[in-house]
Amino acid sequence: MEALFYVFSFIAIFSALMVVTMRNPLTSALYLVLCFFALAGFYVMLDMQFIAAMQILVYAGAIMVLIVLVIMLLNISRIKNMKSDLHQKIIGILISLILFIEIIFYIINGAQKRPSGIFTHALIKKIGNTQVIGEFLFTAYMLPFEIASILLFVAIIGAYLFAKKKF
Amino acid sequence: MNNYLIVASMIFCIGALGVIIRKNLIVVFMSLELMFNAANLGFVAVSDHLNLISGDIFVIFVMVVAAAEAAIALGIAIAFYREKGTVDIDMANELKN
Repeated sequence: MEALFYVFSFIAIFSALMVVTMRNPLTSALYLVLCFFALAGFYVMLDMQFIAAMQILVYAGAIMVLIVLVIMLLNISRIKNMKSDLHQKIIGILISLILFIEIIFYIINGAQKRPSGIFTHALIKKIGNTQVIGEFLFTAYMLPFEIASILLFVAIIGAYLFAKKKF
Repeated sequence: MNNYLIVASMIFCIGALGVIIRKNLIVVFMSLELMFNAANLGFVAVSDHLNLISGDIFVIFVMVVAAAEAAIALGIAIAFYREKGTVDIDMANELKN
């Protein structure tokens, strides 16, 4: 289990770096799919198989297909000369490095809460994690679920309006 | 849990780096998706540690928002490309003066 964690984290971080550094957007899209699969592996290791399946279906399936389709539609590999200048690179690396150090400091020095809920691994395994998530989604989280449907509806209309020929 | 949070923060910072240094609009969106995913990993790891289920529910809502964001953002990319003929974000300067 420990070795698997290191393998997945290496794949995830390596492919995330490749997403940021590759010049061709199609290459970085494929590396992003690899990163999503590694993260799905993490979810399986954390005993959340439903989230892992959603990750692969929604992210690697739907969203990445959308992004790759737009890359092909716009024929971006033909467009060149989009190099970022040196100042931008230095400032970006500094900002993300400082952010990383701050987060690591917080993670290591922060007070850790004791486990307080009742959903241990054994209980989730006994009920089945899809059933647990479904029960909560349709009872306690009913209102956010409905709002999410409205949000998706608005997104459909918005995407149509943006991609239309004339506003 | 700490190991998962460290990996998540690494991915988050790489995503932030991509948002800052890249000029291609599509790659900026992809880095944004990386940041969403890092946040998701953090949610699942913490709710696993605390024996809760609400973090896992929240991940599903984050996925909904990410899907909506991707649809809108790519619509904007298409409109921008139609207007300018490029997806370089430095060309988005209508509000400059």
